[in-house]
Amino acid sequence: MAKKIKGPQLIIANRLDDGRVVFMTENGNWTPDVARAAVADTPEGVEALEVQASTSEKSNLVVDTQAVPAETGDAAFPAHMKQAMQAKGPSVRPDLGYQVSKTWETDAQEGN
Amino acid sequence: MTLINLSGIHSETYRELENDELPATGESVLVSLGQLQENSTSIFELTSSVGVIVNTETPYADLEEFVGRVAFVDIRFPVFGDGRGFSLAVRLRKDFGFKGEIRASGHVLPDQALFLLRAGFDSVDAPDERHEAFEAALKRFGAFYQTDMIGHGKSVAHLRHSADKDKSATQKAG
Amino acid sequence: MYAYDTFDRNIIDARVAEFRDQVERRMKGELTEEEFRPLRLMNGLYLQLHAYMLRVAVPYGTMSSKQMHRLADIATKYDKGYGHFTTRQNIQYNWPKLVETPDILTELADVEMHAHQTSGNCIRNTTTDQFAGATRDEVEDPRPYAELIRQWSTFHPEFSFLPRKFKIAITGAGQDRAAVKWHDIGLILRKNTEGEIGFEVIVGGGMGRTPVIGKTIREFLPEADLLSYLEAILRVYNEQGRRDNKYKARIKILVDALGAEEYGRLTEAEWHKIKDQHIDVPEEEVARIKAFFTPPPLPVLSDDVEEVDTFARENFIFKSWLENNTNPHKVLGHVNVTISLKPHDGIPGDATDAQMHFVADLAEKYSQSEIRVSHEQNLILPHVAKKDLPEIWKALDANGLGSANVGLLTDMIVCPGMDYCALANARSIPIGQAIADRFDDIRRLQDIGPLKLKISGCINSCGHHHAGHIGILGVDRRGEENYQISLGGSGAEDATKAALLGPGFDEHGIVDAVEKVVAVYLGEREEGEEFLATYRRLGPTPFKEAVYDAD
Ligand code: SF4
Repeated sequence: MAKKIKGPQLIIANRLDDGRVVFMTENGNWTPDVARAAVADTPEGVEALEVQASTSEKSNLVVDTQAVPAETGDAAFPAHMKQAMQAKGPSVRPDLGYQVSKTWETDAQEGN
Repeated sequence: MTLINLSGIHSETYRELENDELPATGESVLVSLGQLQENSTSIFELTSSVGVIVNTETPYADLEEFVGRVAFVDIRFPVFGDGRGFSLAVRLRKDFGFKGEIRASGHVLPDQALFLLRAGFDSVDAPDERHEAFEAALKRFGAFYQTDMIGHGKSVAHLRHSADKDKSATQKAG
Repeated sequence: MYAYDTFDRNIIDARVAEFRDQVERRMKGELTEEEFRPLRLMNGLYLQLHAYMLRVAVPYGTMSSKQMHRLADIATKYDKGYGHFTTRQNIQYNWPKLVETPDILTELADVEMHAHQTSGNCIRNTTTDQFAGATRDEVEDPRPYAELIRQWSTFHPEFSFLPRKFKIAITGAGQDRAAVKWHDIGLILRKNTEGEIGFEVIVGGGMGRTPVIGKTIREFLPEADLLSYLEAILRVYNEQGRRDNKYKARIKILVDALGAEEYGRLTEAEWHKIKDQHIDVPEEEVARIKAFFTPPPLPVLSDDVEEVDTFARENFIFKSWLENNTNPHKVLGHVNVTISLKPHDGIPGDATDAQMHFVADLAEKYSQSEIRVSHEQNLILPHVAKKDLPEIWKALDANGLGSANVGLLTDMIVCPGMDYCALANARSIPIGQAIADRFDDIRRLQDIGPLKLKISGCINSCGHHHAGHIGILGVDRRGEENYQISLGGSGAEDATKAALLGPGFDEHGIVDAVEKVVAVYLGEREEGEEFLATYRRLGPTPFKEAVYDAD
């Protein structure tokens, strides 16, 4: 039986080869673009995402996959502070991290 | 499972006894420490070829009464990070002068091969697919910063000031 | 400085090859993440919030210009152009790729540096006084012993899988700048009445959830017995330390459970069994290592230098810098210069690649190509001639490193906190920056005088808040960052635990609270009395009243 969830969830992880923060999309790919993260709002939906995520983990694409609470306004975004920090990059270095993903986008590939 | 030989010892084959089972006369058997503590008289009457299984939690003093009588000790690691198993092997060699085989079983990693050897282990019971990685790990380092209390070698600090310095700088362990 | 021989070279090269193989096996899936994690940690590689983080050791805080240049090159080539110096005399890179770390380690090994055991449940980088071998108040240079410990603890067959991490610190000076009583093992070099060198041995100190000040188990251990004695301490811990609960696994918990006396007795009993088993190195080896640390031949000069005094009269910041950022050297006419990595608006402990190159160049010119890292996250140029100080300060100031705040309130220890750290409950750096903003006038700081403020983003206490005259701890209160303030801690020879003052504050409230605490001190201090002394005299009450009642 799927466990109870508090609101919508998305899946966050780090890519194994470079550690980069990624989110799981609807079709089970991994993207650095949080707006494209798949969001589930039922216990069954979250469990399905988790199963899919653990498959990626087993095939050594990503590590530390977690289902975390999501906000679903205009676009998906982590609801909690720590994962929001992961989605944006360090608050004290707005010149770095994913919020200025230009340098990262060039070499970013989505896992498949 | 394959037995990986760390130290070059000749490992015997032992049959693991069920709970409360006794060995056939002269049979080589492996028993848990608890069982040995309970039935040592009858077991040693039937055979002198006994190995004992201990877990990493075992206080080394519990082994003292058996070290002169068992042929080998099998230290079972519940998880490879349980470093007590290493101290237990060191104690067997150093405090009790145990000369028999010490085997690591349970969860140990190929990357621990030299740590095991140097702490006094002779062999590892590990999954077949890890055999190669164990062999590779054994050849990784040629000299070490610590003196092994088990007589495998001098520390780098001693080698630096001894006659066999040049030879040992390039030699492999074991 | 210590230089590698063939043995050291072969070992470090083998270690790099081993890690390269481990990374390859992980990428191929031959190692699971669960198995790989402890292996990468033993090589200083974490997975943090945004990326991997590589922690590189600066053994006992000493490095050469060449090594500093290499650290800068790595920051440029494999990272985002900066590094972070930590309280453990390490440098952390925040953005390395897993698949590139073996190359980074190769480049480090090339200049005799490594990331060995900078994490994991093993014996970590031994830390020491940043002025070791150069300061006037020293019995003996602790670094040769730290190097002995480095070698003995590297890939120790028995102690690589301890119940928990294990930190050793050593000092040779009267004034403890290495916080030895806050370590799993603290060593203080002493001379006995016969003039022989030995150690006072302290065990069971530590911060974290249960802060404990270490206890002395032996007043004088002859220097020749150091390693066998450490081995005995570690064996008792490895066998009996708790493994069922990671918060109760440090040696401090075992020492507390057994009692320091009993721990000492067990150690002595084991040590007597092993002390003649060649764990300790031959005398010639101690001599060989000591020879690397022979003090540089400096000319004895006068401590009074006219040009320096003149410039100090003209420039208030330089005058403060002279007072705060220099420490008297063994040799007259010389000082050890502390370069503050706490510039206004900066991130405490961070240095850019350009700054690292710049400091390395300065060291080549003025400090025998030697650089130190302090546990307070600053860089040091040892052995500097006093007459060079105006020139050095001007160069530092031109490169954003001229801050005169060493030992003052804004010379804070600040852990990375939630901006980088996966374990954090709250951010630390922005709090440090907001406090630095509030106290940005050097005249005001100078008036407040010596004050150690330390901030941690979680109870792990990497920011040493338990040892802060003012300590700040970030906690998570129902999903919001909240900051608790403690007072009266010390990491020095008079080590004490800071005491919690009361309920926490939000990120603005905590800055106000610090200001109120300082105001009480300024109002109550006696002539020449420093903050800590005033707090110890008055106790927490007036501070508590000022911080909480006014609201
Ligand atoms: S104190 Fe906590 S938040 Fe700060 S660096 Fe240590 S573990 Fe991270």
